[in-house]
Amino acid sequence: MEKAINRQQVLLQHLNPSASSFLSHQNNSALSASACLAGDSAAYRRTNVFGDDVVIVAAYRTALCKSKRGGFKDTYPDDLLAPVLRAVIEKTNLNPSEVGDIVVGTVLAPGSQRASECRMAAFYAGFPETVPVRTVNRQCSSGLQAVADVAAAIKAGFYEIGIGAGLESMTTNPMAWEGSVNPRVKQMEQAQNCLLPMGITSENVAHRFGVTRQEQDQAAVESHRKAAAATASGKFKDEIVPVATKIVDPKTGDEKPVTISVDDGIRANTSVSDLGKLKPVFKKNGTTTAGNSSQVSDGAGAVLLMKRSVAMRKGLPILGVFRTFAAVGVDPAIMGVGPAVAIPAAVKSAGLELDDVDLFEINEAFASQFVYCQKKLELDPQKINVNGGAMAIGHPLGVTGARCVATLLHEMKRRGKDCRFGVVSMCIGTGMGAAAVFERGDCVDELCNARKVETNSLLSKDAR
Amino acid sequence: MPFFKTPFNGYSVRFSPFYESRLAVATAQNFGILGNGRVHVIDLSPNAPIINELISYDTADGVYDVAWSESHDSVLVAAVADGSIKVYDTALPPHSNPLRSLKEHAREVHGLDYNPTRRDSFLSASWDDSVKLWTLDRPASLRTFREHAYCVYSVAWNPKHADVFASASGDCTVRIWDVREPGSTMIIPGHEHEILSCDWNKYDECLIASASVDKSIKIWDVRNYRVPVSVLNGHGYAVRKIKFSPHRRSLIVSCSYDMTVCLWDFMIEDALVGRYDHHTEFAVGVDLSVLVDGLMASTGWDELVYVWQQGMDPRQVLHVMAADRESFVQTLQP
Repeated sequence: MEKAINRQQVLLQHLNPSASSFLSHQNNSALSASACLAGDSAAYRRTNVFGDDVVIVAAYRTALCKSKRGGFKDTYPDDLLAPVLRAVIEKTNLNPSEVGDIVVGTVLAPGSQRASECRMAAFYAGFPETVPVRTVNRQCSSGLQAVADVAAAIKAGFYEIGIGAGLESMTTNPMAWEGSVNPRVKQMEQAQNCLLPMGITSENVAHRFGVTRQEQDQAAVESHRKAAAATASGKFKDEIVPVATKIVDPKTGDEKPVTISVDDGIRANTSVSDLGKLKPVFKKNGTTTAGNSSQVSDGAGAVLLMKRSVAMRKGLPILGVFRTFAAVGVDPAIMGVGPAVAIPAAVKSAGLELDDVDLFEINEAFASQFVYCQKKLELDPQKINVNGGAMAIGHPLGVTGARCVATLLHEMKRRGKDCRFGVVSMCIGTGMGAAAVFERGDCVDELCNARKVETNSLLSKDAR
Repeated sequence: MPFFKTPFNGYSVRFSPFYESRLAVATAQNFGILGNGRVHVIDLSPNAPIINELISYDTADGVYDVAWSESHDSVLVAAVADGSIKVYDTALPPHSNPLRSLKEHAREVHGLDYNPTRRDSFLSASWDDSVKLWTLDRPASLRTFREHAYCVYSVAWNPKHADVFASASGDCTVRIWDVREPGSTMIIPGHEHEILSCDWNKYDECLIASASVDKSIKIWDVRNYRVPVSVLNGHGYAVRKIKFSPHRRSLIVSCSYDMTVCLWDFMIEDALVGRYDHHTEFAVGVDLSVLVDGLMASTGWDELVYVWQQGMDPRQVLHVMAADRESFVQTLQP
């Protein structure tokens, strides 16, 4: 490092000389390099060697469909996961046996059964038996947690290539509590609050922080509008993997083969007045309705991560760079505030300021908490959920994290170098929040006349 | 004329004395501050406005300068920031390169010059305040010239007197040396600030130019070095490198931290005869071809090497090719 600083001093003296520079070249105080003014805050520093960065080379999702009534109502969960796992392998031409682990975020299904289903899905997707599979459950953030777990394992050196995925079929596994509740919860308010229906927590947030029905409905309308625009303009085509499945007519029992490739929850023509007609669902005289809550959906998503050095060796274009992840805890009664705490934590540990983040995907579990978080962090609405959110697209619990990563990174890629950092965040039932910071991946330089070195023997002996 | 994009930041460019269309480019990662380096040998294709890379060599540290051998058409030497000088032979297979690594300098080697008259030896200028004389057949330096008080940035052999050379240093002096003498034969305290480059006039062996951090280029006559023959002002920042034209007596080309490459005629009143601002970062390397009159090349920290004919726009593509190349030609327009 000493050498680098000395070289920098020599160069600086060419630009900003003092009269007797050769006498004062030992003296450092006369000159200083200031932090780069190109937009990042000065604190940002790459702590790893470049090649050790964990990068995302592919991120895909299925369309998200309304549970019980939508496109995937008759689809087995493993048939949802298999196509996205297959897609991340096919589109990158990766040998599936090179994947070190598949981590699937999945929430509502019974643990062991769902873990087995995921293993089966990996087989259907063409993975050999040598690739292990596991699940992870941090409620609504499970998809993001899966991606973070894979990134952490790669950084820890457990393997070099991994897939973080999400799977949820709320048709097959609706939200429910099996068995009895330990009476002990009555002795502790926080424990008892873990049992609150999510909609009640939404009402709590709306009430405590003064988010009006009007604001919530407006947020919902915006979500639908943006999602409809994104679908219409074909933006989601980059990230959606079509799934060939069947629909069973409930009356006749006839099976019809279909291919689902469009989110079916989006309502382009929703208006505030339409939403105003809906009755509050969770609390009398409340503000949370079916219209300004996230939809209950089915779907799956997968994100392929690897070390940057591996991606460059394979010549894979880099979609994004995984920077940081933070999970935080908040009051279970107002779990919706999660992002307002998690986002600053993740951004800070990336060495950034909130202003440095160019794009956000904040899960719209409920419009109340979404609007609150946006206001609390004073975020520019133009940067948040630019292609719509869960109120329009859907919130299959375990998938959301992976889905948001796919949507975020594809949008950052479209936006160009201007859009450098993005954040995915969501609130978590039982009082938590999670957030992750990503950086755009554009280090692959297309314009380069220099010949790519194929094998080691072409390097001069020096470089070994 | 076309440009060539290097993956690292450009530091120096030199035309081959044997082949009209061949150049060597010295590049360093992260602006030469930290990281690896690469030497590219590039060729201008005769029929197409495209620059091809013939071969490239990776180095462990940035490459600050490169010089072609005057005796062997495929040999070049590279000045590496870790203090070593690498000798490459493009005629040999890649695994035999570098032929030799000459490691004696204690600090970064910043400049190289090959003797054009004797053709058997070359000089290296280093930030360890010394200049060393080398030949290709000896693993150790023949002479070390240690008088400067600060980094030596540049050395240049006199085109006529085979044993005379000049060195430019950050101690604000240009020193003239003779290899037969133990010490320097002349000290020109040319500027108040560091002198980054020096070069001899190819037609008058007593004229030498020095380029400085004070943004000026001064032309000196060694017979009377108290007062410069000419002072060329016009650059906005420190002048990084200068070269006298091998074809025109009074023409000198310079490149600067102000991102421009300038052409000067020091014999006329209004000396600045041309300015090229094609670079978008510091322009740090420039060279004029000995074999082709008016052909010049420059490189900069913007990772681009431009080769163009004097008088033309460096960014303009000369030939419009047939339709199948059209789209490729389009992509060359920056």
